[in-house]
Amino acid sequence: MKKYRKINQCPSCGWTPSKNQEELPRDHCPNCLCGIHHETGDGLECGGILEPVSVWVKENGHWEVIQRCQLCGKMETAEMTKEDSTIKVLSIIAKPLAMPPFPIERLEDLTRMMGGQGDLGKRGGDRNEP
Amino acid sequence: MNRENKKRKYDKRYYRTHPCTDAFTCKVCGWPVVSAGAGSSHRNHCPNCLSSIHLDNEPGDRQSGCHGRMDPIGVWVRKNGEWAIIHRCRSCGKVCSNRTAADDNPMKLIALAMRPFGSSGIPAAKIQQMVVSMEH
Repeated sequence: MKKYRKINQCPSCGWTPSKNQEELPRDHCPNCLCGIHHETGDGLECGGILEPVSVWVKENGHWEVIQRCQLCGKMETAEMTKEDSTIKVLSIIAKPLAMPPFPIERLEDLTRMMGGQGDLGKRGGDRNEP
Repeated sequence: MNRENKKRKYDKRYYRTHPCTDAFTCKVCGWPVVSAGAGSSHRNHCPNCLSSIHLDNEPGDRQSGCHGRMDPIGVWVRKNGEWAIIHRCRSCGKVCSNRTAADDNPMKLIALAMRPFGSSGIPAAKIQQMVVSMEH
């Protein structure tokens, strides 16, 4: 079971919960999705800042934020809550797509090889049907 | 060679500093995996299905007794701009990150990156609403 500690002020972005916001057991900041790395494998406290690197979808459809400790490099997951910033989550998901490891045009050829229609909309209307 | 075998057996950090050139068959999809073509001397996941097996506690130590199947759950961009695959062990739930290899299946990689967009964690209507509110 994960330990929850009340976060009064985010150590990374300085976010504080507003007065009318209810007191939830938060393990990460809803504004920047950062958390604090509490335990390492030996039961010692690490104390590094967990920065969000990715999002994954569980089998039941819930999303979890994958965080990475800036100090020791361990990966942790944190359940996404409703108050988490949507823009931050979307920017984390879209970051790999903005920096693909190969030219994105190659996907066009690959989808064509697989029999799909993979054009990126450049030659939308004037492509002749074979 | 005998000395090298001994080192491989007893040195816990052997595979951190030495290349691992063993060929293996992927336990998930049966793809025959050889070390050539990875663009790196540490092949740690199947280039076809991107799955891995939980062998290490720390990179290269081969000390984990779990040997569970590690599913690829996502990708992230490292500081130098290259992608890394995030693996999660099916039996113990450990999450770790691995560099992509040069011959990894590109369709599978893009599918991993697009996976959250295909599920309805954030409804498309809400995204549309956000875009509209930003334009005005």
